[in-house]
Amino acid sequence: MAKKPKARMINVRLLSMAMTGFFYSFTRPRVARPMSMLKYDPIVRKKVLFLEQKRKGK
Amino acid sequence: MAAATSRYVELAKQLHPRLQRFFAKYPPTQILPKTTAENTIKDGATANPFLPHKHPVTGRWQDPEFSLRRQAELVKLARSAGVEELMPFTHKGTEERIRKRVEEGLQVKGTGVGQKVKGHLHERMLATKMEKRRTAMLGMPRLVREWRKTGTRGWKKFPR
Repeated sequence: MAKKPKARMINVRLLSMAMTGFFYSFTRPRVARPMSMLKYDPIVRKKVLFLEQKRKGK
Repeated sequence: MAAATSRYVELAKQLHPRLQRFFAKYPPTQILPKTTAENTIKDGATANPFLPHKHPVTGRWQDPEFSLRRQAELVKLARSAGVEELMPFTHKGTEERIRKRVEEGLQVKGTGVGQKVKGHLHERMLATKMEKRRTAMLGMPRLVREWRKTGTRGWKKFPR
């Protein structure tokens, strides 16, 4: 049986760089570059850098 | 001398009847304070009525004369009358209780002198976690500056 094709869109997790463990989840095309953005971290109550976490099972 | 004795008698009569009966039966001077340590009666000494003791002939253990509940009641009465030091040694005595409290702390493990409460893992790791967060926040402006300079396209350092 043919293998199931990989999905075009993937769910990614953007982790707070304030080391609070807080994260946002986004959906992006698989072929796009990894995401990074400045966003609000409610634990430190500031805008901090969020970087995409490396995906597991690869 | 006689006057002093009669004054003591007067004072003793003001004690609670239970205490009066107790002291009549076990006059403080006749109880060896530390009979108790060996728990065996020697030479006709009166055994501490608050502690179990070994019978000198049969060698069997005898229960204390007073149950722990009654010991506690008597100690409380004696304390309120200010004559607790006349009572024989008992585990319910104030000194003994304070000593045990110092030694063991509350019933909660780790609250005694020189002991530490273990706590949950997250409580033990709290200081480390906060320190990590603090250093991360201190380095944040630099990281953001770097990130702005590189731009999202060229950024390579992603967390695991």
